[in-house]
Amino acid sequence: MLIDRTHRKWFVGSAVALAVATAVYIPYALRAPQGPRGGSALGLTYGIAGFLFMLFAGLLGLRKKFPVWRIGRAQSWMRGHLWFGLLSFPLILFHGGFHFGGTLTRMLMWLFVFVWVSGILGAALQHFMPRFQTAQLPMETIYEQIDRVRGQLAEEAGQLVEETCSALEGEVSRASERQRAMSASAGTQGGLTVASGLQANQQVSTQLRQFLDEEMRPYLERAGAHAMRLGQTTQAQKMFQQFRVLLPPELHSNLDDLENICEEKRQLDKQSRLHKILHGWLLVHIPLSYALLLLGAVHAVVALKF
Amino acid sequence: MSTKPADEIQLTIDGRPISVPAGTTIFDAARVNGIPIPTLCHQQNENPVGVCRVCVVDVGQRVYAASCIRQVESGMTVKTSTDQVQAARNTLVELLMSDHPAPCARQQQSGDCELERLAGAAGIKEPRFPHRTTARGKDDSSAVIGVDHEACILCDRCIRGCDDIRQNWVLARRGKGYQAGIAFDNNLPMSESSCVSCGECMVSCPTGALTNKRVVGTQLGEGDVLDPAELLHLPIFQNVSGTFLELNQKAVVKRHFKAGEIVCREGDFGSTAFYILEGQAEVFLSSPIAHVKTEGSSKGFFSKLQSLLAPREGDRRSEESDRPFIPIDASVDLPYDNPIAELNPGDMFGEMTCMSYYPRSATVRARADCVMLEMLRNVLDILQRNKTFRAQLERNYRARALDSHLRSVPVFASLTQDFIDHLRDRVELLRFNPGQVICRQGDSADSFYLVRIGFVKVSEQRPGGELILAYLARGGYFGEIALLSGIPRSATCTALDHVEVVRIAGEDFQLMLDRFPDVRQKLEAIAHERIEENLRHTVQAQNVPVDQFLAQGLMEAQSLLVLDLEKCTRCDQCVRACADAHEGVSRLVREGLRFDKYLVATSCRQCRDPLCMVGCPVGSIRRRNTLEVIIEDWCIGCGLCATNCPYGNINLHPFPAELDDPAHPGHKIAGVRVKATSCDLCHDHAEPSCVYACPHDAAHRVNPPEFFAGLLTQPTPTKGGS
Repeated sequence: MLIDRTHRKWFVGSAVALAVATAVYIPYALRAPQGPRGGSALGLTYGIAGFLFMLFAGLLGLRKKFPVWRIGRAQSWMRGHLWFGLLSFPLILFHGGFHFGGTLTRMLMWLFVFVWVSGILGAALQHFMPRFQTAQLPMETIYEQIDRVRGQLAEEAGQLVEETCSALEGEVSRASERQRAMSASAGTQGGLTVASGLQANQQVSTQLRQFLDEEMRPYLERAGAHAMRLGQTTQAQKMFQQFRVLLPPELHSNLDDLENICEEKRQLDKQSRLHKILHGWLLVHIPLSYALLLLGAVHAVVALKF
Repeated sequence: MSTKPADEIQLTIDGRPISVPAGTTIFDAARVNGIPIPTLCHQQNENPVGVCRVCVVDVGQRVYAASCIRQVESGMTVKTSTDQVQAARNTLVELLMSDHPAPCARQQQSGDCELERLAGAAGIKEPRFPHRTTARGKDDSSAVIGVDHEACILCDRCIRGCDDIRQNWVLARRGKGYQAGIAFDNNLPMSESSCVSCGECMVSCPTGALTNKRVVGTQLGEGDVLDPAELLHLPIFQNVSGTFLELNQKAVVKRHFKAGEIVCREGDFGSTAFYILEGQAEVFLSSPIAHVKTEGSSKGFFSKLQSLLAPREGDRRSEESDRPFIPIDASVDLPYDNPIAELNPGDMFGEMTCMSYYPRSATVRARADCVMLEMLRNVLDILQRNKTFRAQLERNYRARALDSHLRSVPVFASLTQDFIDHLRDRVELLRFNPGQVICRQGDSADSFYLVRIGFVKVSEQRPGGELILAYLARGGYFGEIALLSGIPRSATCTALDHVEVVRIAGEDFQLMLDRFPDVRQKLEAIAHERIEENLRHTVQAQNVPVDQFLAQGLMEAQSLLVLDLEKCTRCDQCVRACADAHEGVSRLVREGLRFDKYLVATSCRQCRDPLCMVGCPVGSIRRRNTLEVIIEDWCIGCGLCATNCPYGNINLHPFPAELDDPAHPGHKIAGVRVKATSCDLCHDHAEPSCVYACPHDAAHRVNPPEFFAGLLTQPTPTKGGS
């Protein structure tokens, strides 16, 4: 989510709420005989408010499970999640008087810190990564389709190489006929020149097929494979440049296509990595959040009852 | 052949004394006495014209005589095969071969090109003379006869066949010198001319200039192949050349269907048409007559959407069609309330499927034991041009379908029976081939048209190019704007495929407006809306310049789902929401073209040029004035619209249905029927679900020219900047 000017109302509202909470906390903290405590009226108020904010933030997951339900736009829920979640931290700190307390509450506070920090990290990732991804990956596709697209790229590469080799071999057979004609009319010397050219074409054709089997196909068929030579742009450029020297100009467009295929594969790999980063943090944030809510509820019961 | 009374004339041909009646030509005199003389332009059943001169003979005069037209004279000494005569003939043949595309189509098909046979006999392999430098071209417009002007030797046999033998008067000569050739009517393409495809010209042609076009896979698998003689006994094949039928023999077969047997099923693809010879058949739609409705399953806070089928009465949609009849590819329309009708001997069905390869529009089942002709396109084309058959078809249409066709158009619902009877014999059924212009922008208006078969493209020529305004299917109409306003035609209407229209003359149209003021009112309102809409299209087209925008086809869209890639986290909530809203069938794919930082998702674009609407066999897909595509209740789920959509934006949504059990007639079994669906903008709610469910404010439904206005007016940066 891009945190931009459209968040202004939320920012202002949260800032005002924080300012008010702080303005109330400071005199309370200074005047409380035994210092600010979670069990005091104000402390409880902060605690309840903070927990309610956390609960609301936690409900975002449920909201996403039923996207069609008309219970407020998902965008509003997300912004609420972000700003209420942000506000909940100072409120909980005010609730505890900046003390972490006993075993349960200490565990709870550290859990909360991890959830809160991972949330901020996630917000930052969601703010910066989409732009980065859009700029870096013009060839991106749907993440779940990456394997399929990779398979298609491998197939396409195979077809292109075959087409190039056939064109070379066609040239070979045409040249063979020319060679026979030249040998018959012009003598052995002319024949030798064409013959050496023929051999060169055949060698290039073989080299290209070898390149496909040993370099391209393994690279295209494997996810990741950054360590392979084609996984690095400069190395790949050098390899294709060598083929450009060997192949006639009319076949360079095929080489360009092969190079683009490798570039697309690199972008898909990058997309895969970025996607995991962009969504991977949720694997930390979500379970910890549920644990936080559960333990928070336990703490509330224990603290109030006993 | 001479018509003079017979007095015997004595002459000598190749040293043989011969006696023939006066008036006999040298050619005939030689022929009856077993002396062959080669010829190209002469055919026994035609009057000779002596244009090719291949039949020249030495009659002892300064110049050789063309034996096909020169009459015998008493005491004449004719030499038909001296070295000099042969040399002259060979030179003529060689000259003809120098412009002949050997081997021509006839030589390739059947090895019997008369010119090439003569050349072979004369030992001419490579003519010494240079080929013609100006091309005369080909005409592939006819479905049954290929015309190759390059192979034409201007023997005029085709002209004589068409005029003298068949009395059709279509063919004639045109041009002079190297530009001379044969022409159909006023040099029209063959299919657009008044040619009735009798095949006489093709049968008469000695070379590959006119050849039979074989439809690929010409042979029909099932059915009894009929002898041409049997076919010629049928009134509908009257005046068709027997040789022509022989060449197309396996393209028409006789099929026998027992009572209860299915002849064809709606939605199936096919390439044949049927003509009923005996028995009765019933034509019906087995798909549920209902549309896909998406609604909340419970009211209030936690509403969830579900998709179900709802008929017109149960769920009235805005701009829903009130048509009482469902248009199908047959000589009848089906009543909406009970979509079943009877077909009798003399009825034809499946024309659109046969000519344009559209899916079958309805299911046909034999009610009693039936005998039908099943035919391929080339035979149907012959029939459609045959005067006897056309007259029968028109009679049937006027008697059975004109009424329901007119009444199925809501604007004409109030026409009285007596007025329809008045129109019955005055309307004209006209056929147009694909690409043929029906009426042109700027022409004066004298007719109103109803579309009976096929699809018509309505377009306007603007300085920037052609602007498509609409596609009209069966039941559509055009020509009213110019007639109402007295102005020239405001648009060009072109046949997209094989189209048949009902033409109502301007005077009858005016009479209708005078007698039925409510019809005038409705037509005027619709004409006004169309003019406004056309103006909107034109203004938008003029205001949006940019290459990339146009190249991506975005100009054609009126409503795009765009995803701001700088906000989108690729969470797929939009797709999930769409699937949830439509029983698991998403109408959106988060993939598509990129324009600037936006991804144009694959979802219905409400195109200006709605290609999805072309080809619907039952005319069930159209657009409301609010841009949203509406698919009528009688969609048969053939999927052609889904195939036609260039963006893959139409889905087929399966629904459980009761189907006829083919193993047990009369019983039903559970099955699945599909109905076409596309993005419905979740019209039950204030906002589309995809947009509503996006947590990052990345998904938007926009009008492209407005949304991209800022980008579109930016100058393209130049390299190397100043």
